[in-house]
Amino acid sequence: MLVYSLLAGLLFGLYFSLIGLGLNLVFGVMRIVNLAHGDFLMLGAFLAFWLFTLFALNPVGAVAIAFVGFMIIGLPLYYLLVPRLLRARDPEMLSFILFFGLSQVIEAVTTIAFGTSERSIPGDQLGRAVTAIASLFAGHPVAPGPVELFGQTFPAAWVASSIASGGAVLLVYLYLYQTRLGYLTRAVMDNRDEAIATGVDVHRVSAIAFGIGIGLAAVAGVFAPFILGSITPAMGGEVTITAFAVIVIGSLGNPLGTVLGGVIYGVSYMLMQSYYSSWANLLPYVLLVAILLVRPSGLLGRRVRNA
Amino acid sequence: MVRLSIFAALLASLTATAQAADAPAEIKLGTLYASAGRYASISLPVHYGLKLWIDQKNAEGGVYVKAFDKKIPLKLVAYDDQSSTATAATLYNQLITQDKVDILISDSGSVLTSVAVPIARDHKMLLIDQTGTGATFFTPDNPYIALMADPVSSIWPKPLADFLTHDGPGLGIKRVAILYATNDFTGTQANAVRKFIKESNSGVEIVYDQGVPTETSNYTVLLNNIRASNPDAVVHLGYAANDIAFLRNVQDSGIKFKFLFCIYPGTENELLEKNLGNGPLNYVFTYVTSSQMAYPTNFGMPLKEFKEAWHKKYGDTKVEFGFNSVAGYTTALVLEKALATAPSLDQLELRKAIFAQSGTLKTLDGPFELDPTGAQIGEITPLGQLVLDGDHLKLVTIWPHELANGKPIYPRP
Repeated sequence: MLVYSLLAGLLFGLYFSLIGLGLNLVFGVMRIVNLAHGDFLMLGAFLAFWLFTLFALNPVGAVAIAFVGFMIIGLPLYYLLVPRLLRARDPEMLSFILFFGLSQVIEAVTTIAFGTSERSIPGDQLGRAVTAIASLFAGHPVAPGPVELFGQTFPAAWVASSIASGGAVLLVYLYLYQTRLGYLTRAVMDNRDEAIATGVDVHRVSAIAFGIGIGLAAVAGVFAPFILGSITPAMGGEVTITAFAVIVIGSLGNPLGTVLGGVIYGVSYMLMQSYYSSWANLLPYVLLVAILLVRPSGLLGRRVRNA
Repeated sequence: MVRLSIFAALLASLTATAQAADAPAEIKLGTLYASAGRYASISLPVHYGLKLWIDQKNAEGGVYVKAFDKKIPLKLVAYDDQSSTATAATLYNQLITQDKVDILISDSGSVLTSVAVPIARDHKMLLIDQTGTGATFFTPDNPYIALMADPVSSIWPKPLADFLTHDGPGLGIKRVAILYATNDFTGTQANAVRKFIKESNSGVEIVYDQGVPTETSNYTVLLNNIRASNPDAVVHLGYAANDIAFLRNVQDSGIKFKFLFCIYPGTENELLEKNLGNGPLNYVFTYVTSSQMAYPTNFGMPLKEFKEAWHKKYGDTKVEFGFNSVAGYTTALVLEKALATAPSLDQLELRKAIFAQSGTLKTLDGPFELDPTGAQIGEITPLGQLVLDGDHLKLVTIWPHELANGKPIYPRP
């Protein structure tokens, strides 16, 4: 029971790292809190649902469409909302209000479009993709079904979403540390005013980071029907709160901290489900309060300054 | 003698005029619904069922109200609580104190009804409880509540528990696992299953018994823990979203429990089939509700006619037909009967009129029967099993034996 909970927590936590990654990137670069993050995730989930329902497109195929599509949406959205916000006296606080409003609008419009009932994509769809990839690596056909890890079996969809999460974290790191744009992004994260003074086009860098953040939320959304059971237009708020807890645990503004926060959240959640199941949903709030009291900068807080 | 007759006629005509003048222009029905959030999928069908009746009655010139001896149009005052109990509490107060509704109807489900119970009682308003079945709502000292359209949660699982303890041991069911969402609706059912099994002395034992928050959306670890307890039967008690996530996780984990019970495959069948497809629902045990079983009626539309009316009116609204649709319409039928017999709109007179229907009214939801606390005990929930028949799922009634139309398939192949 303990080993299973730990491994399940690791897989579950990696998925929540993916959810938190975009939120943290936006906060790190712009110092604003995107309370509509969970709603962009929900939109990504409905995009995957819609692509599957209308075109029978496997969710793996929807990942690229979701990322590119939502990144493109994110760019004009940045120019529409964020520069004005950053001119305010307290942009961090105002961002709460503005993005809360945006969250409400997104939820209402999605409800009109899709209704209020739960929607899902059949569970074996991601499993098929995992089986195809596994067969490719093994050189022979691999039977579909749950995946065995260290003697324990897990749904193939969990493994697929964990691989995608790991891949996304890696790509964000490569972007931040191996590309010129990433270098400039880190400069803005470190000190926005100094970056402006040295001639960095801060708005261009921030807009791309904003787009990537929303794109990552949409990618997480593609996997949501498999990890969160079903999707509804109202799911965004709860997801945002958990993602916020994850990035505060790790450290606001530090992508590596998000991975750590996600894993801590995932493992703690699964252990709670095993041993004190009635209290499991209190966990994000308890961890949030505990971290804010003990280490307000998050577990990897110092790294923010050195980004 | 002639003078006396003229005087009597004048008096009668004056009384009638006065009564007509006192009659309100409309009867205000106040209710809440959830257009978003966790309970939207059980709230909107109930709300739509109620609205269908209101539109029908208003098209006929209103509903007959005995207190004024005439038909009076109905006005629905409905607010959206968005599945939030805090918002619901404020809005219930608003319906009573600001809108001054004549009849107070709760939102669907025990969670959103729970906040209405003390508010209605404090304001001495009769709460027309549509589907809030938590057993704690009904107490002998509170006359301001009556449950319309669902049996109280403490008797929902009686056929399930009876099957497990009577037929179960013969089939090889000796170890039962219970997983439930910790809210009034499913928590009460879990208590009842536990009690029925323990009191049966049938040798059936509970080997796993855990509650989880209603918001739970991932069951993989819990399923692994249940499997470790080696149960012969697994009883999962949750709302529709819980059942969808739970059954998906069962399928994705490759676990095959020999007996698996969930509430919503038989309750919101269209919704569950849309989300899960046939595979995960095949061989699942569930309640046979009135959206699946046609009961003889003595008032209102029978199931087939109501289902057709529903699909005609709401076919393109993305709200699925199910037990909750029937529940909203059943509430309306009880209200219609009460308004047609109550001598005034006084809340306790309305209560008396509703209680007078107990044991006599038969709707598409089954026989209407209340216990002295206002809890519904007439509309029972037989146990059934979903079995793939060609390319569609058929719900076979298993228990009680007098209603059964098939045998259980155990263990699941």
